[in-house]
Amino acid sequence: MRITHNSNHDLVQNSILQSKGRMEKLQREGSSLKKINTPSDDPVAAAKILQMRTEKENNISFRDTAKLAEAYLGNSDNALSQMTDLLIRAKEIAIGQSSGASSNEGTRFGISEEVSQLFKQAISIANTRVAGRYIFGGYKTNSPPVNDKGNYQGDDGEMMVEIAKDVFINMNVPGLEAFNSQPRSSKDYREGQVEGRIFEDRGPAGVDADGNQDIEFQPRSEYEAIQGPQNANVFQELQRLRTGLLTGDLDSIRSTLDQFDQLIDKVNAVRSQIGSRLQGIESTSAAMDRHEITNAQLTQNLEDADLTQVMADMANEETVLRSTMSVSQRLLQPTLMDFIK
Amino acid sequence: MGIQDMMQTGRSGMIAAKAGISTTGHNIANANTEGYSRQRVHQQTNDPVTSPDHRSFVGRGVNVSRIDRVNDGYLEKQIRRGSMDLAELEEKDLGLTQIEDIFNELHGDGLNRIISKFFNQFRSLSNDPDNESLRQAVREASQSVINDFKRLRTDVIDVQNHLDNRIEGYVQDVNRLAKEIRDLNVRIADYESRAEPANDLMDHRDIKIKELSDLIETRVRYDKKNMVSVDLKGGGPLVSTVLNYELSVKRTGSDDEGKSTGTYDIFSNVSSPGKLTHSLQGGKLGGTLNVRDRSLNTVLSRLDEMAFNIAKTVNEIHRQGVTRNGVKGVNFFKEPVQVHRASEYLKLSDEVMSNVNFIATAATKDAPGDNRIAIAISGLQDMKLMNDGKSSFDEWYNGIVADVGMAKSHNTEGINQQKNIVGQLNKMREQISGVSIDEETMDLMKYQHAFDASARVISVADQMLETVLNIKKL
Repeated sequence: MRITHNSNHDLVQNSILQSKGRMEKLQREGSSLKKINTPSDDPVAAAKILQMRTEKENNISFRDTAKLAEAYLGNSDNALSQMTDLLIRAKEIAIGQSSGASSNEGTRFGISEEVSQLFKQAISIANTRVAGRYIFGGYKTNSPPVNDKGNYQGDDGEMMVEIAKDVFINMNVPGLEAFNSQPRSSKDYREGQVEGRIFEDRGPAGVDADGNQDIEFQPRSEYEAIQGPQNANVFQELQRLRTGLLTGDLDSIRSTLDQFDQLIDKVNAVRSQIGSRLQGIESTSAAMDRHEITNAQLTQNLEDADLTQVMADMANEETVLRSTMSVSQRLLQPTLMDFIK
Repeated sequence: MGIQDMMQTGRSGMIAAKAGISTTGHNIANANTEGYSRQRVHQQTNDPVTSPDHRSFVGRGVNVSRIDRVNDGYLEKQIRRGSMDLAELEEKDLGLTQIEDIFNELHGDGLNRIISKFFNQFRSLSNDPDNESLRQAVREASQSVINDFKRLRTDVIDVQNHLDNRIEGYVQDVNRLAKEIRDLNVRIADYESRAEPANDLMDHRDIKIKELSDLIETRVRYDKKNMVSVDLKGGGPLVSTVLNYELSVKRTGSDDEGKSTGTYDIFSNVSSPGKLTHSLQGGKLGGTLNVRDRSLNTVLSRLDEMAFNIAKTVNEIHRQGVTRNGVKGVNFFKEPVQVHRASEYLKLSDEVMSNVNFIATAATKDAPGDNRIAIAISGLQDMKLMNDGKSSFDEWYNGIVADVGMAKSHNTEGINQQKNIVGQLNKMREQISGVSIDEETMDLMKYQHAFDASARVISVADQMLETVLNIKKL
């Protein structure tokens, strides 16, 4: 076989270039501590990394939402717990004043003042705000949901928010729902303040089979179920109690008792609903935390360079380069010329 | 056989040795000349004469029959082919690297992050639909999406222009080489007609042909007079012996084979329509055309499709919503007209541009807390709205990045393989045609000794002659 000095040179050059090329890659990995620096380093992993980055970004947003929903629901719960106390007090008054034995005009008059206070307090509870937004007004977050006559001014909008991918919860309870034992037969509902829309439509937009967007809001069976003829309204009952006290109509006072019971049950039911939503948020957040840790680990596996490995490879490569060079020196140096006079 | 004849024999040996030394010198001098094939002196004995007693023949020395180049035509063809493929891959690598850079957001921001930000801003807005600063943030995020689509598009177009410039340069190179090959043809034919092998000119022409096939795939034919004709694969003749044709470029409109508007078409002056843009293959020119009309174009149309669908679907929902001023049916983005160049024309609608109150979050009037539209828009993020309902925006875009990366890494692998192949072929060529300094050194000594010895023959003959002339004096 003929070996020419040109093929020697090519061989040397190639070995050195290859070695330097590998070193450059290691250098890039070492300096960025990432093994994937361009999509072509590992196209599939690169796409995966981007996907996980989006998930991470989304999770930050979900977390914020969950915090907000928590604040909303927590405040609603507080307000409703005050409302329960208030109703219990009203019921005590009604019990105390419902029999002729324990009540006379003088005490009833004095106590009607307290009921007036309760009424005002109930309105202020209904008009609770979180960060400037009325939480019991449904979608009408900008104006007080209950006016000073105790009439509901809000609507029955429920704000659905996404607290994890595809996990939606409603972060508010409309006053209509919380302050009426039978919202569908309530005066507020009948008088059209709320236009009945939430009962027909609600929920995020869906995509139908053809892939067209189409906002068709689903009917809410939850509300349908609570239909009943007899409604009790917090403000109406308080007013009725007060009027009964002022006029000495003991029958009327007695009749509020049952209504207050219904209302207390209702408010407690709403509170337990809120409680389960809060629990839902908590478990979703916990699941998200776990998911995020797994994600972070996976991302790390995909894109982070193993420093020890890089260093070991680098040392190895250095040795290769050195030996290539020293061997090359011996290969290239001598020609026959050197040995002829 | 006289003494003079002996002198002639010595002289012929000296001449042959001199030719040998010259050729060796030439080989050594050209040891590093690209494409040089080592040359070898072929000697043969002169016709003998009969000895005076007519019983035997006496040799009359040597002559140099010819000087050949040691070259394997088939191997040369393989090398041409191999290095054409390598040139094409390397050229593609250049374009693909540029595209990859555009889409590399592994260490920074890019469309992927910006789009998820866009949807997350809508999500934040759904938490508090009446919030002015969140509305501003939504508009800002949308503007970033628009800007980044534009950036990507402009960057891709820049690469396209850059490739176009290269195409123009390569076409000029092809024309220059065609002319040089034609000129060499003429000169070689001239030598050959005088029965002189034009070794160096043929090497020279081989280099030119190799340079040409690095640019474009060709078919080379040799005729009896040792002239070559070069045909472009799929593009008609370029050189036919003593004639050369020319390619030219011209900016033309788009066509349905992936060429974009305003990029170069390649024409030949051989036949009347002569458009070769999509028939040329291989080499740097073929590689560049491939990246320009395939890879870049695919990327562009996928970006366009994505921009179009985002604008379209966001608008569709947004139009069903009620803005803060109670208006229904307002577009969020300017409604796109067509997919083509949608990423370039993506824009906020005039209403949203003028006032963030025109961002619709509610499905009903007079409901500041109604977030149903905002949440529906944020929900588009995970909907399979691309690729006939098979991928989400995110997956679609990541698909572009992965494809770009895949094309690049595939190409890089190809380059490494091809480099090995070409390296191997070059090694084989070196074995056959390359100059070995050691070998030449030995040849040099061999011919030098031959030269010395032949001179010695003459001096012996001279002494003999002197002896003869001095016979009388004795």
